[in-house]
Amino acid sequence: MPRDTAELFGKPTPRIDGVAKVTGAARYASDEPVANPAFAWLVTSAIARGRVGGLRLDSAKAVPGVIDILTHDNVGALAQPPAQMDGGPTTTTLETDQIWHDGQIIAIVVAESFEAAREAANRVEVDYVAEPPSATFDSPGVQVEPHKTTEDSKDPAKGDAAAALAAAEVKIDARYSTPTQHHNPIELFTTTCVWDGPHLTIYEGSQAMWGLKANVAKQLGMDPAMVRTISRFVGGAFGSRGGTTSRTAWIAIAAKRLGRPVKLVATRDQGFTIATYRAETRQHLALGASRDGKLTAFVHEGWEVTSRPSGYNVAGVDTTARMYACPNIATAVHVVHADRNTPGFMRAPPETPYMFALESGMDELAHALNMDPIELRRVNDTKIDPVSGKPFSSRSLMACFDQAAAKFGWSGRNPKPGSMRDGDWLIGWGCATATYPTNIGPAAARLAVTPEGKVTVQLAAHEIGTGAYTVVAITAARSLGLKVDDTTVMLGDSSLPPVTVAGGSNNAATTANVVYKACEEVRRRLAEAATADPASPLHGADAASLQLKGGTLMGPTGASEPFKAALSRVTGGVLEVHAENAPQGSKPGAVAGLYEGKSAMVRGTGRENVTTFAFGAHFVEVRVHERTREIRTPRVVSAFSAGTIVNPMTAHSQFMGGALWGLSAALFEATEIDRKTARYVNHNLADYLIPVNADVPDIQVLVVPEEDDQVNPLGIKGIGEIGIVGMNAAVANAVFHATGTRIRDLPIRAESLL
Amino acid sequence: MRPFTYERAGDLSEASRLGANTGQGQTDAPVQFLAGGTTLVDLMKLDVLRPTRVVDISPLGADLAGVALTSRGLHLGALATMSKVAEHPDVRRAYPAIAESLSLAASDQLRNMASLGGNVLQRTRCPYYRDPSWEACNKRRPGSGCTAIQGYNHNHAVLGVDENCIAQYPGDLGVVLAAFDAEVELSGPSGARLLAFTSLHRPADGEPHLETNLRPGEVITGFNVPAGAWTRRSLYLKVRDRSSYEFALASAAVGLDMDGETVRQARIGLGGVAYRPWRSPEAEAVLVGKPLDEATAKAATDAAFAGAVTHGGNDFKPELGRRTLVRALLQAQSLPVSEAS
Amino acid sequence: MHQSSDTRGPSRRGVMGAAAGLAAGSAARVAAQPAVSGAESGGHVAMRLQINGHDHDLNVDVRTSLLDALREHLDLTGSKKGCDQGQCGACTVLIDDQRELSCLTLAIAAQGRRITTIEGLAGADGALHPMQQAFIDNDAFQCGYCTPGQILSAVACVAEGHATTDADIQEHMSGNLCRCGAYPKIVLAIKQARGQMGRG
Repeated sequence: MPRDTAELFGKPTPRIDGVAKVTGAARYASDEPVANPAFAWLVTSAIARGRVGGLRLDSAKAVPGVIDILTHDNVGALAQPPAQMDGGPTTTTLETDQIWHDGQIIAIVVAESFEAAREAANRVEVDYVAEPPSATFDSPGVQVEPHKTTEDSKDPAKGDAAAALAAAEVKIDARYSTPTQHHNPIELFTTTCVWDGPHLTIYEGSQAMWGLKANVAKQLGMDPAMVRTISRFVGGAFGSRGGTTSRTAWIAIAAKRLGRPVKLVATRDQGFTIATYRAETRQHLALGASRDGKLTAFVHEGWEVTSRPSGYNVAGVDTTARMYACPNIATAVHVVHADRNTPGFMRAPPETPYMFALESGMDELAHALNMDPIELRRVNDTKIDPVSGKPFSSRSLMACFDQAAAKFGWSGRNPKPGSMRDGDWLIGWGCATATYPTNIGPAAARLAVTPEGKVTVQLAAHEIGTGAYTVVAITAARSLGLKVDDTTVMLGDSSLPPVTVAGGSNNAATTANVVYKACEEVRRRLAEAATADPASPLHGADAASLQLKGGTLMGPTGASEPFKAALSRVTGGVLEVHAENAPQGSKPGAVAGLYEGKSAMVRGTGRENVTTFAFGAHFVEVRVHERTREIRTPRVVSAFSAGTIVNPMTAHSQFMGGALWGLSAALFEATEIDRKTARYVNHNLADYLIPVNADVPDIQVLVVPEEDDQVNPLGIKGIGEIGIVGMNAAVANAVFHATGTRIRDLPIRAESLL
Repeated sequence: MRPFTYERAGDLSEASRLGANTGQGQTDAPVQFLAGGTTLVDLMKLDVLRPTRVVDISPLGADLAGVALTSRGLHLGALATMSKVAEHPDVRRAYPAIAESLSLAASDQLRNMASLGGNVLQRTRCPYYRDPSWEACNKRRPGSGCTAIQGYNHNHAVLGVDENCIAQYPGDLGVVLAAFDAEVELSGPSGARLLAFTSLHRPADGEPHLETNLRPGEVITGFNVPAGAWTRRSLYLKVRDRSSYEFALASAAVGLDMDGETVRQARIGLGGVAYRPWRSPEAEAVLVGKPLDEATAKAATDAAFAGAVTHGGNDFKPELGRRTLVRALLQAQSLPVSEAS
Repeated sequence: MHQSSDTRGPSRRGVMGAAAGLAAGSAARVAAQPAVSGAESGGHVAMRLQINGHDHDLNVDVRTSLLDALREHLDLTGSKKGCDQGQCGACTVLIDDQRELSCLTLAIAAQGRRITTIEGLAGADGALHPMQQAFIDNDAFQCGYCTPGQILSAVACVAEGHATTDADIQEHMSGNLCRCGAYPKIVLAIKQARGQMGRG
């Protein structure tokens, strides 16, 4: 039985890895020292569809320092393609001579130096057998098909949406689009492989240590026990390092051929095509309502681009259909196969694009109803998941709206578009709902504690910027009644107990719950020994009632003994426990699967009795120059309610960072493609815009307290992704309020408003 | 990056001797001068520039980095860094457009590195130029064609383009120097010479691979910007989606000499929209002798963009450019400047 | 912390006038090393770099960037590679006390200049620089990858006098991208540290 979570959590705690990060001591994958490495450079395809007819390598091989060049011909048979998260097929690299997309790896040069490898890669001449490629929507040759529904994504449907829409007193019917986006973590995609006899060590930034280990082992036909992955710090991930991509196995093969470590640091532009991305979407949304604003019909359809072989899609209708009470629901999702690399998870994969349409549409509906947009959400708020009929475990949506609205000063808004200005700048205020499902995964952890109260916790979780080290330290120290400063945490190494993928905002809930379980085991053993020992002041007490607090083992009546005394009764040395946790709702074998590198998760929509989501509300002020139409965002207030907050200090950073991602999705980010050749053209950080410091508003993050004992024992909801969701719509809504122009295609830029 | 020989030039004559084959008019000359390196090293890494000899002229900064304001005008040493000139109090006071064009460009780190001479020679950001895996680029491979014309041309030029190249000049300072009648001081194997700044960059003219009129071995040693009543009432307006650290979608350099409400003389440069640093004498002519109001400003901008040619992705540029110039003109008019200089 | 360098040329402040200011150091890099470094012998050249107060002798490819020299040859991996083309600021180092990008600096061209990396910012006793402490106190980072560059840029931002107002800080820190979005907290950290930093 968990302790009062407010007692354990909620104290702002600086990151325990802070000193390492501010001094340069934190070693990201390509910082790890390895002896005498050779350097790899990728040669990538300059066409998007066809075949490698031949490679002319003489000039490259003549570069002093070149050691090896890997191609389909000499290594293609040595690896299988990496397994995909969705279990389906994907594009290949050196396994065949086929070219599926622009920027596909078609050769790898290995040389004594970074400089020689780069020069030689540039000297590789490729004879292509090219075919005309299909770039994206509307390109000739794309194949459109309905997506495959899965257990997690079933195309919600209810009632008769078409009839209800036809009969609706008020309706909106519109089409929206969101662009291709790339994660662009500032750390490049790197891989360093080192062999020691039959043992392979891979240094690579990863969100799935055991997944990477298992996948690469399978690709190479190895026993996974022979593979170790290390990723102590990750320089941003956002989903891009969740799946296993093709480069890793080839670098392992390169290192094996050389009998020497090989290090790859892919370039920024290669990162756009050797990893994944958020695919562009098109969406159709129709909402019907009665005059009082109650929704009567909900229709949401999506189209998503993917690669030729993969059916990857995010199907965000599964979230949007649950947002508001509505008796008639129809949804559909289609995939559009083009000559592109396979997309993948990117921060709030389904919600970011699909909630843009819904939350823009809700604003349009509010305008059509002449109703305040907050009130429209209130009228349609629901405690019951309208798709499944199960109750939400908790839902503080309107509390978030009300608190954020008050802070923002929403009551001072003149609802008439174009009515507010400051000099040459048109002012617009907009709002939107944020939401994200509450997911949790299985995990294992090892915890050791000394009589002096020094704690070491080890688990193969992932520090991708979320403050994972600190979450684990807080959980362990507070649960054991010991000090965060005395707690050492080791993560990011597959030689440690496995943890599910760091995705779907599950990390804090997953790791805290398993670490708490380990601590509970420590407490139990100490308590049982103490209550059985006549020499203990706790002799005879109910073991279950004892708690570890303030460096003591304490009974309900106040009797206590020092931690050291309690521990030394159990062991003369160090007490070590190994805990495994399969969250409620896990499928059988979830823990066993962890050790095979499987990344299971109990999803917010996949629970037996409840639906679990976190909720929030965004408010944003935009300013649009009346002449030149630049858009600036001076002010944001966002409120979130997400159960137990383990560390308010880092949680604030994540909410804030998420909200900035939302602004960025609204105003900046878009990967541009040359439509004729299906090649990306702005694959660098000067032309793929992300916000700079000067773009950032006065941003206030409010956390609305919430207790939820159904999501998991510690009541933790995920917070890493909810911040981005809905902000793109809030900005579009504010732009409409400022200008009277409704923009349904992201990003919204000066040129959109000329 | 291809192998090269690295040499340092201790003085101008050494620079000219070592750089005898620079041929800077050519984009891919085998000898390149290195100052701040912010363009050269970047393009060498991308395999776009492949010099076999790199001549580091940063030691010349000992003598060629000064900023001097005299009654005849402003002299800027070519090796002065962008940040130094951007922050220089004389430049900020007497030539605000120059200071603004520099402080709105790039980032602090890049401005600390980049020299003025290198900055005005900054290469286009055209993605098809910057990536040799694209076969067709007349600027990189003469006669190979232009991919941008039918490709992604969102930020490509609409003024001064031809059917061979629509690359945009990405710089900011050059736009002001073009507008303000600046001269370039050059030093080469056959001695020193002066060139009008507007003659430094060549028009497209079917030979986009020839970018400048620099002769082999010539080093830019400085810039002279004449004095004029318009320099104080001047500004540089840069419109972009990000608030900082982004190339212009459209920009305007404006200098006005006003007689009450009437324009005595105007200097107008346009950035983010043209093939090379662009001065618009057409727009200036519309304004002279007229009261500056919304209508005359619009007439001037119509004149400035009369010859604009767009290619789909950049269809928005003439309109954004016009709006930018109108805003710049009206903003310059309202600057609190005393007309006495 | 910074040793004065005897490889720099004579000061030219007198020639350029007092207003020469910031650029004096870079303008005065009259080299005391060989003028010619060839692509012969496999393109490797000997060079001496002065980093964090110590001289380091290297024999590396003439094409080596300062960033790669630090990371791959000197195990100073605190300087990060985020784009390798001058667009992200993660590789920012101080050169003659100015913030510059090590990815666009040829190592060989950095000879004779004083280079400070994140590893050289803390005191010899390991005491954190006020800016480093301020970044921790304000949670001014998440993944931490851009952080060394942010911190060095922030130190220079204060020293330049560009940290007076929030708007000033935001503008002059815009050359350092942070994908996690820690920007507002970076501004807070700079405001905390600016009063605690000594000049120079």
